[in-house]
Amino acid sequence: MLRLTLKGVRGHLGRFLLTLSAVTLGIAFVAGSFVLTDSLQSTFDDLIESMAEGVDVTVRSDRDANVTSDAAQPRLPLDLERSLAGVDGVTRAVPDLQGVAVLAGKDGTAVRAGGAPSIGYAYFPDDPAIELLDGRAPQGPNEVAVLTSTLDRARLAVGDTTTALIGSTPRTVTIVGEVSFDGPTAGATLTLLDRESATKAFSPDGLVPSFSVTAAPGVSPETLRDRLGAVLPAGAEAVTTKDAAEEMRKEIEDALGFVTTFLLVFAGISLFVGAFIIFNTFTMLVGQRTRELALLRAIGALRAQVLRMVLGEALVIGLIGAGLGLGLGVGLAGGLQGMLQSFGMEASGDLPVETRTVIISLVVGMLVTTISAAIPAARASRAAPVEGLRDDIVVTPKGVRVRGVIGLVKAAAGVAVLAVGLRDGTEWLLVGAGAILIVLGVLVAAPLATRPVVRLVAAPFVLLTGVVGRLARENSLRNPRRTAATATALTIGLTLMAGLSVIAESTKASVADIVANEVTADFVLESGGMVPIPPAVATEVERMTGVTAVAAISQVDLSMDGTDVWAASADPEDITSTVRVTMRSGSLRSLDDGRVLVNETLAEDNGWTLGSTVPTKVGVLDSRPLTIGGIFKDSQLVGEALVPQPLYEEAVPLPNRGSVAMLITAKDGADLAAMRADLAALVKPFLVVSVQTGEEFVDGEAAEVNQILTILYVLLALSIVIAVLGIINTLALSVLERTREIGLLRAVGLARGQLFRMITIESVATALFGAVLGAVLGLGLGIVLQRGLVEDGLEVLSIPWSQLSIVVAGAAVAGIVAAVLPAWRAVRLDVLRAVTTE
Amino acid sequence: MVIGRGGAQETEPDKNVVARALELTKVYGEGETRVTALDDVSVDFERGRMTAIMGPSGSGKSTLMHCMAALDRPTSGQVVIDGVPVNGLRDKALTRLRRDRVGFVFQAYNLVPTLTAAENITLPLDIAGRDVDRAWYDLIVETVGLGDRLSHRPSELSGGQQQRVACARALVSRPAIVFADEPTGNLDSAASFEILDFLGRCVDEFGQSIVMVTHEPSAAAYADRVLFLADGRIVDEMVDPTAEKVLERMKGFDGRARRSAGSSTPLPVTEATVGTLDAGRRTV
Repeated sequence: MLRLTLKGVRGHLGRFLLTLSAVTLGIAFVAGSFVLTDSLQSTFDDLIESMAEGVDVTVRSDRDANVTSDAAQPRLPLDLERSLAGVDGVTRAVPDLQGVAVLAGKDGTAVRAGGAPSIGYAYFPDDPAIELLDGRAPQGPNEVAVLTSTLDRARLAVGDTTTALIGSTPRTVTIVGEVSFDGPTAGATLTLLDRESATKAFSPDGLVPSFSVTAAPGVSPETLRDRLGAVLPAGAEAVTTKDAAEEMRKEIEDALGFVTTFLLVFAGISLFVGAFIIFNTFTMLVGQRTRELALLRAIGALRAQVLRMVLGEALVIGLIGAGLGLGLGVGLAGGLQGMLQSFGMEASGDLPVETRTVIISLVVGMLVTTISAAIPAARASRAAPVEGLRDDIVVTPKGVRVRGVIGLVKAAAGVAVLAVGLRDGTEWLLVGAGAILIVLGVLVAAPLATRPVVRLVAAPFVLLTGVVGRLARENSLRNPRRTAATATALTIGLTLMAGLSVIAESTKASVADIVANEVTADFVLESGGMVPIPPAVATEVERMTGVTAVAAISQVDLSMDGTDVWAASADPEDITSTVRVTMRSGSLRSLDDGRVLVNETLAEDNGWTLGSTVPTKVGVLDSRPLTIGGIFKDSQLVGEALVPQPLYEEAVPLPNRGSVAMLITAKDGADLAAMRADLAALVKPFLVVSVQTGEEFVDGEAAEVNQILTILYVLLALSIVIAVLGIINTLALSVLERTREIGLLRAVGLARGQLFRMITIESVATALFGAVLGAVLGLGLGIVLQRGLVEDGLEVLSIPWSQLSIVVAGAAVAGIVAAVLPAWRAVRLDVLRAVTTE
Repeated sequence: MVIGRGGAQETEPDKNVVARALELTKVYGEGETRVTALDDVSVDFERGRMTAIMGPSGSGKSTLMHCMAALDRPTSGQVVIDGVPVNGLRDKALTRLRRDRVGFVFQAYNLVPTLTAAENITLPLDIAGRDVDRAWYDLIVETVGLGDRLSHRPSELSGGQQQRVACARALVSRPAIVFADEPTGNLDSAASFEILDFLGRCVDEFGQSIVMVTHEPSAAAYADRVLFLADGRIVDEMVDPTAEKVLERMKGFDGRARRSAGSSTPLPVTEATVGTLDAGRRTV
């Protein structure tokens, strides 16, 4: 029986090819997701390893679990260095003088790559990870040594002079040295200063985040850690670099885990969609081979043997497809890595294929294929021997009604779950489950919708091409189940696209709406990347003529009653004149009395009211009770809470201080154009700060949503590729099934062009059916979600009609593309042979 | 050569001939597998008459019809349909020729299952984008007797009804000639009678030219003239045939055919069984 199975696969290889490609594509995504994350993980592992090189113990302040960002962790005094160096067994103990250092490249703009940080370090000649390749060590505030890759990106060389933002001071620097860093940098730029300048720039308050300590030969890191621990003051701790690295590795793994999950979701979608193609193929193959299978039964094959044979075929296909997919996945990961590299993310070159990746890929490939083939296989095994003698295989679209009812019941249950999920705040688990139920229900009921929807989408073609269009339409309606299953890929893809685009477009509109309502400032200064706007900028802007108010919005790590809160700080008077903050109770002025303001949602969620006293932890300060001095309407700009300016200054170390945005209001009648030019000139030395008008800022905020959306669209486009494969598959097989009919049509005068058109229209009608169903479904879900999220700030419903129509038109094009091969094949059929075929 | 519907290239002055074969030869395969299906056949088919082509299996009767109907290309020789020389026509012109001047009836009905009977009948006209001549359509439908079944799909019709639809489809575009390939091969005798009766009336009442391939003497009896083929040649013909005369004539062929196929002696049962098992094992 095994030989027969293999023969079956080989004999129908052509027909299996498309199934194979569906499996391959899906598995490629699965394998690629794993390989890419493994590759990223190994990059970061290398990075961490190299950072730990030559350093055995790190001395740092006790970690505060409530504070998530490293920058806001408490810092240690610089003079701790002396007592560390005095410990027995220490050969080297240096402070980690580290901060922001942005270089201007040859073109005058900041050298940055993607979201990677621009780091400044103190240069220590005995630093084991850094080697001076060219030139000499930097000396004084205006000399720097720079990493080779940073120089390359900046198109600068040793001896060049450029501008730089180091710490919070813009300055002109000369590049006196080129250094290498032992290990990957993941795209970060690295600029080194001499110790004294670095101290001034990165540790003006005499505090540093940590110290790196190297042990003398023969002293284990653990021993050294314990010895250091004995001399450390309260609030400081010593950890071996190995432990610290492990901690970091875990954090990165968690972060990358999200990437894997994200990619796997899309892999899952493509596999789910692929499963329909596999199901379709096997159904049709079994239909065609009824005679062959019946013959097998007639000569004594058991039902179980036929079942095993068809399932065996599926298994072979699954295995081959998974194997190919694994290879393709490695290529895909390589391609993605290359893409990341072009964004400036330096990843290590190798693409690790772990055993786990291989096993998961193969198992998933085989499972998906065999499960998809199970129903057709069962049907095949039921083939009665007598069916081998029957002339025509009549495919009756029975059960469409029953399926429709089941599907609709499912969808209705989904609606109910969704409704419960959206009632009283959003239960995302219920919302997700409801949405999935609805989609599955609609997919099950889809055959019921083929007649009306196909009739609708085919109407223009019928009008245009008459009988050709009518024949095509009827062909699509011939087997509603098959048409629906074929269109499934597009339905799912379009549902996601339409739903997401409604949410995204509504988010954009809502953000724009809110921001537009809030911003009364004439100009907004915004900082790119991870570099905050230095406080010095605010001072200079205030001095400009024509400026009436400057509100520097700074972000603060805040934890109220154990809850992490996104908080900002700014002077109340400045806020009033640049931002419209609507107070529900209390007053903005209470900030001056050292009180904290919270937004409505936060107050409601925690049951806080005006005058409530809440234990609050601000930045590096110890927790203290703060009184709520006011509750404001949720705002896009100032975050969930506002803290008094003096408290912010107390809580945030000077080098970490800076604003995320600076809002500027001009005097009435001021020359805005001139002012803009002045502002641009003013912020130019700060490299990363940009000047925008209030309107530009509003547009920019909305545009951020687009970037996320683009990535999602690219990934979803994959479902369209798979959809095309599915349509090719179905059409090719149905052309084969209908050989005699096609021969007849040609015999009674259907020209080749007409035949080509007929199959193309059939394909387009199927594609449009899937697309329209998906678009309507996605639109519906999107609107429901938006309605449910009004409370959470998604106030404006915006439907991207033009995008939706482009996507639907794209589906039609996909239909045209998919029809080419099958239509070509049909056109080339020999009329005589086709019409007399059995 | 471009053939227009108006037939500017029509060369046949003989109005009594609707289709003509001139030194038609059709060879399949090469070398040892070479089979001559048609061997220098020249024949005229008269306008307004029904011609039956008979002969034992492998005599070339289907090949002759396929070549005459422009469904197949002869290896050499000329085919002229309704005054149009078929040789050298490109696919487009061939398609148009079939569409406008030729009608087909097949043994397996070959209806489009997604279309109703009425739609199947008008299919050639719809494909051509021509208007349906209502009076003619009604006349055919009435003659063929399908009045109440027109809105049914083929799957809801009996074999005889399906073949009647196929006949009506062949006639609706007023083709110069209708080729019927064993039109009663799949039908019982009552349904066969209906179809043959209808074809006969088309010749008598509408002057339709029909060429029919058949192996049933009773069907051939409906023709005005019967051609007998054997080994790719026309070996005889009979005008105003009757079933008895045809049967008598055919017996001669059958005997000769059996004699020439000496190797077809039935195998002993044991050997046949082993062969089947062998075949079975090869696929298992």
